[in-house]
Amino acid sequence: MWKKVYEWMDERLGLNEIYTSLLDRPEPKGNWWNTLGSASLFLFLLQGLTGIFLTVYYTPSPDHAYDSIQYIMEGVAYGWLIRGIHHWGATLMVIVVFVHMLRVFVTASFKYPRELTWLIGIGLLLATLGMGFTGYLLPWNQRAYWATTVGTQIAGTVPFIGEFILKALRGGPDLSALTLQRFFSAHIWMLPAVLAGFIGVHLYLIIRHGESHWPKRED
Amino acid sequence: MDDKSKKQINNRYEQELNKGEFFWPDSIFKDVIVSLGIFVLVLLLATFVGVAPEPKADPSDSTYIPRPEWYFLFLFKFLALYGQIPLLGKIEWLATVLIPGIAIGILTLLPLIEKSPQRHYSKRALPLSIMAIMLVGIVLLTLTSEVPTVSEDGSTLLGLLQALAGLAIPGAGMIVLLLMSYVFKSSARLMAWTAGLVALSMILISGTVLAFAPERAAEDTEVATTIVDQIFAGQDLYSIHCVECHGDDGKVEVIEGVEGLEGEKITPINSRDVLYTVTDSAMVEVIAYGRPNAGMPPFGKAYGAELSKSEIDYIVVFMRYMWDDRFEVPQEALKPLFPPLAKGEVPSYDVHIQPIVKRYCVSCHRAGKENNNYLMTSYEEILTTGDNVDYNIIAGDEASYFLQVIQETPIMNPEKPDEELIGVMPPSRALKPNVVGALVRWIMNGMPRTAEQAAGLFVPPAPEATPTP
Repeated sequence: MWKKVYEWMDERLGLNEIYTSLLDRPEPKGNWWNTLGSASLFLFLLQGLTGIFLTVYYTPSPDHAYDSIQYIMEGVAYGWLIRGIHHWGATLMVIVVFVHMLRVFVTASFKYPRELTWLIGIGLLLATLGMGFTGYLLPWNQRAYWATTVGTQIAGTVPFIGEFILKALRGGPDLSALTLQRFFSAHIWMLPAVLAGFIGVHLYLIIRHGESHWPKRED
Repeated sequence: MDDKSKKQINNRYEQELNKGEFFWPDSIFKDVIVSLGIFVLVLLLATFVGVAPEPKADPSDSTYIPRPEWYFLFLFKFLALYGQIPLLGKIEWLATVLIPGIAIGILTLLPLIEKSPQRHYSKRALPLSIMAIMLVGIVLLTLTSEVPTVSEDGSTLLGLLQALAGLAIPGAGMIVLLLMSYVFKSSARLMAWTAGLVALSMILISGTVLAFAPERAAEDTEVATTIVDQIFAGQDLYSIHCVECHGDDGKVEVIEGVEGLEGEKITPINSRDVLYTVTDSAMVEVIAYGRPNAGMPPFGKAYGAELSKSEIDYIVVFMRYMWDDRFEVPQEALKPLFPPLAKGEVPSYDVHIQPIVKRYCVSCHRAGKENNNYLMTSYEEILTTGDNVDYNIIAGDEASYFLQVIQETPIMNPEKPDEELIGVMPPSRALKPNVVGALVRWIMNGMPRTAEQAAGLFVPPAPEATPTP
């Protein structure tokens, strides 16, 4: 019975091909340091999942943002856990992505034929930091407010276009409801879209070129 | 890269593949284990460390020291150290844009910059040693980010050492390494030793800085998270700031006994007229800005007074839950602070004194506050800390400093009789008589800790005898 179902599905989905091209790939002898990429992916998915749950209650307005998070922490069943995971997941994601970059640097895995994988990877690192930066403002507490004030100020020191960048980030000369709204939008739509797209290309390139082997003396 | 070396690389990879494993199930097994470990770690952190509560954003609070997320701290510190450099330090964008821009640029274009096909560490001394110095620098800048560059006594020694370890040595080290690689063609071993030496000196200097760094005062992070806590916090704030004019219950219509506002007619703030028509945010604005024409002064930090945004919110929560009949008060918020004492009953720390102390004393009597080192966060601390610990709490002695100051009698300095050694407590308003009574009974009966110990001291009142003080 199951065999029949599988065959029916395979005929239409090409499950066997997926298995041979995605899973049954030969790889160089593995190393524990090579698991950091998939750990980053796992954390991205975890952040996405908990983030989606958080948007159910979160309200991106200066009047309600703080209270809505207060409510998630106190009023929603296991809200504290979801937010705790999202909070600590962000910290760990930055660490894991950074160490992943270091590993690739140290083993020189960015060299031919994996140059583009590295390039996309830097994009992913920057987008991850961007997620951290935009997500930090959302609780609308003192720490968040002032960190963003200073952060956007620093972006405003760019010569000639600093003023424009500052206003574009803040949605005006000061931090306001507009700032919160656009940071929220960047945090839940724009940057995740960029991340997801880049991750797709990154994964395609990894499958195409295979995982690099740990360099030996002759490499 | 020519086709020959490309072919060589591809052949090498084929060799490794032949000796290798399969993605499923070999590699993915490791991936799953690591991801699972990280998941467990996140769960533990979320459960046992949690997210520290923070007060609501308050744009008017210019005293707040801004600090970025921890992973940007090193950049923040880098900017602070860079700002110390004479002349160059004034051109901000060099440090905020140019240097990070170059770093990110090099990192991005790395495959185009480091073109040699060699991958083994012994053949990549320059990139690896520069990255090592960067990494050590980033970690050290993060660790020292809280250390001020100018000490309290005005000495800039700490700042100088930090600039040495965070800017000068790594910068010079990288230049030396570049020279060694391109000009002197030094061996990889020598470069590794140089990088190690640079990193070691950075670590040693930063270690010294950390060892001599002044300790940071504990931060004020008292945040009421539950509705009940917010009601209590609002009640305390209301009784400090509002009762004088509006009365305990907000009923006052004509102000009495307040200098300058005597006989002023006001709307009772517990009335439906106010509660049903004024929204929370409008109420917050009224408290923050006051009503200068009607004589109400501002209370918010935004207008030069002392209440933060969170504190004003707590007052509004208190008013809503206590007076607005559309809100249901949580049962817990209606409980008296401590169960009333029968005649002759001795209060215990656990049941009576702890809630009193928590409501009225701990806000100042805890680490990091000015309080003559008298801490009150636990039973032991209440009895054994403070500059005047010998005279503070003496069982059965009405002259205990503690009992005098809570009954509106300041303790004068024995050496300078017109100087107060300890002012009346709490400084802003007297405690309610039943609270004072409980504290007096507790100390006069030897400060029992648990309810059982207190019950052992219970003296049933004789019908004619005077009750215990």
